[in-house]
Amino acid sequence: MIKVEIVSGKINHFISDGNHTNDGAEVIFNGRVRNLEKDKKIVALEYEHYEGMAELELKKLAEKTVNKFSLNDLFCKHRVGKVPTGEASLHISIWSPHRKEALNALEWFITELKKNVPIWKWAIYEDGTREAT
Amino acid sequence: MSLKITIRCFSYVRQVLGKKDIALEVSDETDTNDIKEIICEMAGGALDDIPFKIAVNRNYIAESIILKDGDELALIPPVQGGSYK
Repeated sequence: MIKVEIVSGKINHFISDGNHTNDGAEVIFNGRVRNLEKDKKIVALEYEHYEGMAELELKKLAEKTVNKFSLNDLFCKHRVGKVPTGEASLHISIWSPHRKEALNALEWFITELKKNVPIWKWAIYEDGTREAT
Repeated sequence: MSLKITIRCFSYVRQVLGKKDIALEVSDETDTNDIKEIICEMAGGALDDIPFKIAVNRNYIAESIILKDGDELALIPPVQGGSYK
């Protein structure tokens, strides 16, 4: 099963419980905004997305990843709008029978997301200026 | 006959052109490569080296296609983590 969401506020994590009895691996990833962007100090990143298309591409990618790595479940939330440093902009939970598939799938999913899902970052600097990055 | 199309501008394209959307009226038989040239011309060279993907009506296209009246086109600059140069 897949679940993908574009959210505009703080990310609520997916439930991690004992119901995935077919799965030996549960991999959880949180991508957070660090305080440096291209060696320059920032206070936040603002994520801009192509509404409609970003959701569609994220869903297609999740389906492709589940099939490619024989996963049971892949859930993903991507936050858009202004995200202060330290907060999460990306949250992924993957479940699979074995850890290797889940770990490889996570890396591949994020790499492809950053190539194809139309979501862009704007750096917000300490002086309030912003720049596409 | 002319076509009315909308160009959606994101990220670096928006930064350079200063607009979120551009409404264009173009001639029949205009294709996506023609629009790319128009936009790059509007940017005065600032977008010439950007490796764009193109989306029409929110779907990536692999090759240039002829546009239809009402189409929405976006020049998609490299997304997060990508490189502009």
